Amino acid sequence: MLQIENTLFTIVMILYFVSMIFYFLYVALKKETVSRIAFVIQLCGFVLHTAAIVVRGIGAGRLPLTNQYEFATSFAWGLSLLSLVFIYRYKFYVMGLFGSPVIFLVIGYAAMQSREVRELMPALRSGWLGFHVSTAIIAYGAFGVCFVLGIIFLLREKMKNHGFLDQHIPDSGKLDLIAYRSASLGILFLTFTIITGAIWAERAWGSYWSWDPKETWSLVTWIIYATYLHLRVRRNWHGKSAAIFAVIGFVCVLFTYIGVNTFLPGIHSYA
Amino acid sequence: MRFAIILLVVLAVVCSLGSLITQGQTYSWYANRYSERTAALIIALHLDDAFHSWWFILISAFLCINLIFCNIIRLPSLLKRPIGYWGSWICHVGVLLLILGYGLGQMTYKEYTVYGVSGDMMAVSDASLAVSIDDFRITYNEDGSVQQYTSDITVYDLTRSDGRARSASVSVNNPASINGLKFYQNSTGWAARVKIQKNGEDLQESVVCAGDILPVSDKQDLVILFNAYYPDVTGYLYSVYYQGSILGMNILLPGEVLTIDEYTVTFSEPQTYTLIQIKRDSFTPLAFAGGLLVLAGLFTAFYLKPKGNKNAPD
Repeated sequence: MLQIENTLFTIVMILYFVSMIFYFLYVALKKETVSRIAFVIQLCGFVLHTAAIVVRGIGAGRLPLTNQYEFATSFAWGLSLLSLVFIYRYKFYVMGLFGSPVIFLVIGYAAMQSREVRELMPALRSGWLGFHVSTAIIAYGAFGVCFVLGIIFLLREKMKNHGFLDQHIPDSGKLDLIAYRSASLGILFLTFTIITGAIWAERAWGSYWSWDPKETWSLVTWIIYATYLHLRVRRNWHGKSAAIFAVIGFVCVLFTYIGVNTFLPGIHSYA
Repeated sequence: MRFAIILLVVLAVVCSLGSLITQGQTYSWYANRYSERTAALIIALHLDDAFHSWWFILISAFLCINLIFCNIIRLPSLLKRPIGYWGSWICHVGVLLLILGYGLGQMTYKEYTVYGVSGDMMAVSDASLAVSIDDFRITYNEDGSVQQYTSDITVYDLTRSDGRARSASVSVNNPASINGLKFYQNSTGWAARVKIQKNGEDLQESVVCAGDILPVSDKQDLVILFNAYYPDVTGYLYSVYYQGSILGMNILLPGEVLTIDEYTVTFSEPQTYTLIQIKRDSFTPLAFAGGLLVLAGLFTAFYLKPKGNKNAPD
């Protein structure tokens, strides 16, 4: 099983890399068809990525969502899923140009983690694990899309001279609206993650909120996106300021996921 | 709204500060880690216990007042509108209940711990109950790692003349609710039977958990502390105190005894004890209801609100 998973994982990495190259070629060659090829390659990568995760789950005999490697690969999976959905829904292929490097970096981070399958510690043996982690994957994926849109928003001034890019990026209002859709999906799922986590913590640790660094940083992330939503309602705060918050928010997501484990030990140390 | 945004940003900053600075340490710990100046600043600003400091409570109180006013002001214009427009309002009520539920819970919760080996009975006088540990088991996976810790307990209600007893099995992720209290399998550790003889005659014998002290029964200022048990070498780490000062510290291997003047101390029968956490937080349901309202409110605001008004302030 581990052999099949490793092979699939390698193919997935290659496919994501190739799709990234095609997204670059799409903008460089200014050819529409190249973007469709990039999209299809990413989609193939996503399908095999799903297969790799399922194979690992079968091999381990449990949900493969319990350690840094398993969550990193699922995080990349969530980013890939959400970016495919948003690219397809809004026919916004330039998003792939900025999104595919993020996916590639996250799966690259996954590749550096230990892939050993270990037995679960007692605290992780809970039905809440699946809800808690899968909602986090969707939330992080949506925030990743929001981050990419924020970057595009902030860079669009500089892209004005590039006629092709300028034509293929929706106007500021539309861009802002798509970013809002992804942020709202993200905050809804992050709320799910925090609530299911709190219910689980109450059962496992005897307290639904203990200001553990991971809990605190997920709250910080929630507050950042809540601020983003409030800023958007204020008329003159549309656009640029909201885009800056979308970028800060994703930095918080990355810190919650990678930084907390590296710098701030706590009861979430396994994740 | 501007005040709310400022409060949110301030809250995000203080939460991140509270997580970046290790909480609950002493001045000397911070002085050692950072500098004396920083340590003094941390203590003066209560950053060593940021989430329970007066200014954190003050910020939360301001947030609550802000939420109350924002909900009252927005209510009249909402009353005649369909449910699709209520999302943001429901979400804000949810956040308010969540903060109140958590805050009231923090002010009123009761927590006790009991620990012991199979067969022990402990009274928790503050909660008017007694807990007996009927059995404690550890199950293992094939690779030798722990699968589950399970304690079978019986809880006696001391407020009733018949001392009504209720039994339950508690394990990690499976707490038990008895008499409005929740019982959690919290942790475990080593215990051992400690026997003290005086001039060759049995003086006292009891099971002591690692970390606990045992005063010599006829010489109370002579104290044996059982520090730890090391299963790999089957050794017992102990220290001896006399009138508050340490006399010595060492490891006893199998067959070895500790002799202090006329006293002989032996350690045997290493066994695991269980630590049960007992908790009552009457406001958890309020916080939970708040959380559900936040979810319902967000869903309504994002997906049920009539189209064309997505950006309109409500």
